[in-house]
Order: sequence, then structure tokens, then C-alpha cells
Amino acid sequence: MVSIEVENLQLTYPLRNRPSLALRDRRIPEMTGRLRGQGRHRYVIALDGITFSLNAGDRLGLVGSNGSGKTTLLKVLYGIYPPTSGTVKVSGRVDALFNINLGFRREATGRRNIELRGLINGWTPKQISERMDEIVEFSELGEFIDLPFKSYSQGMAARLAFSVATALDPEILLMDEWIGAGDRKFQEKARARMTELAAKAGIIVLASHNHGLIKRTCSKVLELDNGRVTAFYDKIEDFKE
Amino acid sequence: MLPCTPTMRADDKMSMPPKLKDALSDIRTGLGLWRVWMALAHEDIGDQHRRTTLGPIWLLITYLSFACTFIFLFDRGHGATNYPAHVATGLLVWFFIMETLTQSATLFTREESFIKGTRLPFSVYVMRLMVRSTIRDGYALVGCLAILFVSGTTFSFAWGWSALGLLLILLTAPAAIIIIAFLGAFIPDSQFVVANSMRLGMFLTPIFWMHDGASGVRAFFYDWNPFTYFIEIVRIPVITGQMPWQAFTLCLVMCLVLWVVALTVFALLRRDLVRVL
Repeated sequence: MVSIEVENLQLTYPLRNRPSLALRDRRIPEMTGRLRGQGRHRYVIALDGITFSLNAGDRLGLVGSNGSGKTTLLKVLYGIYPPTSGTVKVSGRVDALFNINLGFRREATGRRNIELRGLINGWTPKQISERMDEIVEFSELGEFIDLPFKSYSQGMAARLAFSVATALDPEILLMDEWIGAGDRKFQEKARARMTELAAKAGIIVLASHNHGLIKRTCSKVLELDNGRVTAFYDKIEDFKE
Repeated sequence: MLPCTPTMRADDKMSMPPKLKDALSDIRTGLGLWRVWMALAHEDIGDQHRRTTLGPIWLLITYLSFACTFIFLFDRGHGATNYPAHVATGLLVWFFIMETLTQSATLFTREESFIKGTRLPFSVYVMRLMVRSTIRDGYALVGCLAILFVSGTTFSFAWGWSALGLLLILLTAPAAIIIIAFLGAFIPDSQFVVANSMRLGMFLTPIFWMHDGASGVRAFFYDWNPFTYFIEIVRIPVITGQMPWQAFTLCLVMCLVLWVVALTVFALLRRDLVRVL
């Protein structure tokens, strides 16, 4: 059963005070708010007291200002950051899109990049070759697929990244903002595929500042501020911009 | 697709055995993803030389230019038997050690975007570096064999011991990479210590000089330099046809000790790595 359960999640970063011969700036005041501690024991509270759960078919939008913890929460869900306290339980095959250029080689062709990205995602060569044509077609790159990645525009790179990430029907798809990079036509196409994925009993979590995109794409919204949940909208109709 | 994310709990609740289990699981999963590190290592080599005419042949030229310079400059007054073979084999092993250790110190900082954007096991980055260094040294091996041929070194089945020595070096390399890579990530200054040590190591290791029964500083650096023994287990079988069992045993012990340290470091610091980058 595909699900995400987050209970009382807290994530802190230690601010390491490495030995240094450089002069210290003693004007730095005692840290408060999300920055805590003093001297060698300073740390940042990136996420605090986060609790929510998602089930199959849910499409969650993460909203909040810059630095509110959206990307960090996505990365905790993906398993990149281990929580400092609390529990995160994710059941299902997860794929994520955090950075369009991540994992793409600038000098390699789009086709070679699909192979590399597939391998990084844990696909077998057979799975890659079976999906190659479909990925190329969905990305709408045409003959550009055999040109180096460095010749692609940001929109083309985003199309290729999205096409690869969604090609193997992930049960849980985590996305950070990036989708705005594609043109409107592709955004519609991407939205249709995300709806299709969610309909196949999957979960989608999308972090974005674009509230219009969130409203069009998601069924629930989690609002973050300073690493804490300020609101959870169980129905998208309740979410006001 | 990579295995699904397991339940994650706070790391401070994890004692050493689960951390060690996590570390071993990382290595096991990483080894299973051999296609990824092989492909990325090949891409690395290709990217480094993509716009050049000679491509990776430059690696062979670099090796030959170093080896020939040492051979022609220092092959006087040594009275050594087969000095070209001494330099060729020494430089072959040293190039691998130098490349691997120098690159290790910045490994995780170079891979920061990957580490913060994918769930690839950290051991994938370790193996990627090892394969890249091995491929690069493969070009040096061609040069080494050419020098051995030109210098009239007779092929013998004892060369199989050298191959065993190379294998032991390859088995030791991932452990050394893990230790230095974590050191570089947690103590950034260490990358300069490693880089400078490698530059000095070129002269403090018997690559182009010999022990010759000397005493004093030279004997000290010969006897107490661990790199000496990793070079000798490859070099001596080629030159004398004998396996230096004492050096081989010492290297085997160093390999085991390094792996124990590497696994401990990996288990203790693996989960904190992403937070310090």
C-alpha cells in the first residue's frame, strides 16, 4: 500500500565551529528563532514538529516562503536527510525531481543522458531500452535528443528530466518547483501525466511558489513557515492564495 | 528503481551495530549498482579529454614523459639492475596511489549536488573514483609494458605475483578512499594536507631511487613509508622474479586495518555527511 506517514519530524543542522586561525567576529549575537545555541553548539532547526500522512491518490502541494523548509521536507521524504527526531515512514517506489540538471552530463547527448539517468534511478538496461522511444517522444526533443545536453534550453532540459522521472511509473513522485521551466503546453502535458500517476494509486508531493499551479495540480496543501506547519488544507477548495 | 525508502528514525537512537548494518547495506547496494559507477567513470574519462585531439592518449604521454625523464636523468651511477623497469613499475603504482588519494579528499564535496539530490549509496561515489583511477592507470600500464619490453625485461610467470599485488592495491583503494573522503568532508583543511603529502610523497617514496642498503634518512623513508611496500609487491616480481612475501603480508595487514577503520568511519559518519556538505 502506497503511503507516507510523518510524525513529529524534526531536522536540525549542526553549525560546525571548526578550529580556525581566522579572527572571529564577536559582534554575532546569541542565536534565537531557528538558529539556536552558542559557541561550539550552534544549530539550525530546519524542520520542527511536522506531522501529516498521505495515502494513495493524494497530490500534496507544499507552499511557503523561501527558506520555509519545503525542499528540505521533500529531501527528508526522499531519504536524503535522516530526521533528527520523529519518524518518517514511506511505503512505495519513490522518484524525485529536485534539480533539472542533476545527473545530466553536459557533454553527453540527450539519449546517453537518458541511459545514465535510468541507471542512477536503478533501472536495468532492458528497462531503459524499452522506455527510450517513449521518453524521447514525451520530451518532444525530436532530433535534439542526439545533440549534447549543453545545447538544450532550460525548458528542453526540464522536459527531458520530467520525461525520465515519470517513465517508470513511480508510486511516489516528489517535485521541487522546477515544473515552471517548461512552456505552457508542456506544463499541461506534465499535469496530465501527474494526474494519471496519482490515479494509478500513487502519491505526488509538489513544492512550489506558484499557487495557481498548486491549485490546478494538487488535492491537498501543506503550508510551511520557518520549518513548522502553519496550515494543512485537506481539500484544495479551502486553500486561498 | 532503487529500493523504497525505509522507515527513518532519529539517528541519535541508533547504536553502533545498526549503523554498521546501514554502512554495510550501503556498500552492498553500491556494489550492486556497478553499471552506474562504471558508466559514470567512463563518462568522466571521456569528459576530461572530449575536446582534445589525442583524447586519453594524453594519459599515456604523461606517464611516458615522467618515466623517460626519470630514467634518463637518474640512470647514472646507480649500478642498478634494470633501472628502467624499477622506474616504470614504481611510477605505475604511484600514479594510481597519487590520483586516488588526492581526488579522495574532495570526493564528497565534488559530488555534493548528487548527494543532496539522489539516494545513490555513498559507496557508488567511492567505486566511481576507484574505477576512474584504474582506467587512467590502464593507459600508464600500456606505457609501463612498453618500457619493460624496450629495456629487455624478460617476461616470466612471476609477473603473475605483480598482478596479485595490483589486485591487493585495488582491494585496499576503496578503504583508503572512504577514510580520506570523510576526512576531507568533515575537516576541509585535510585536502591540502593530502595534496601536499602526495607531492612530497613522490620524492619520499622509492619510485626513482633505491634503498641500496643505505642508512640514514633514505633508509628511514624506505622502511617507514607504507607506500614503499605497495610499490614493491608489484615491482620486485617483475625485476627479480621473486614474490616479496614479507612486503605482501605487510600490505595485506595494512589493507585489513584500513578496511576496519573505513567501516568504522563509514558507520559513524555516513548519516551526518549530507549535513556537513
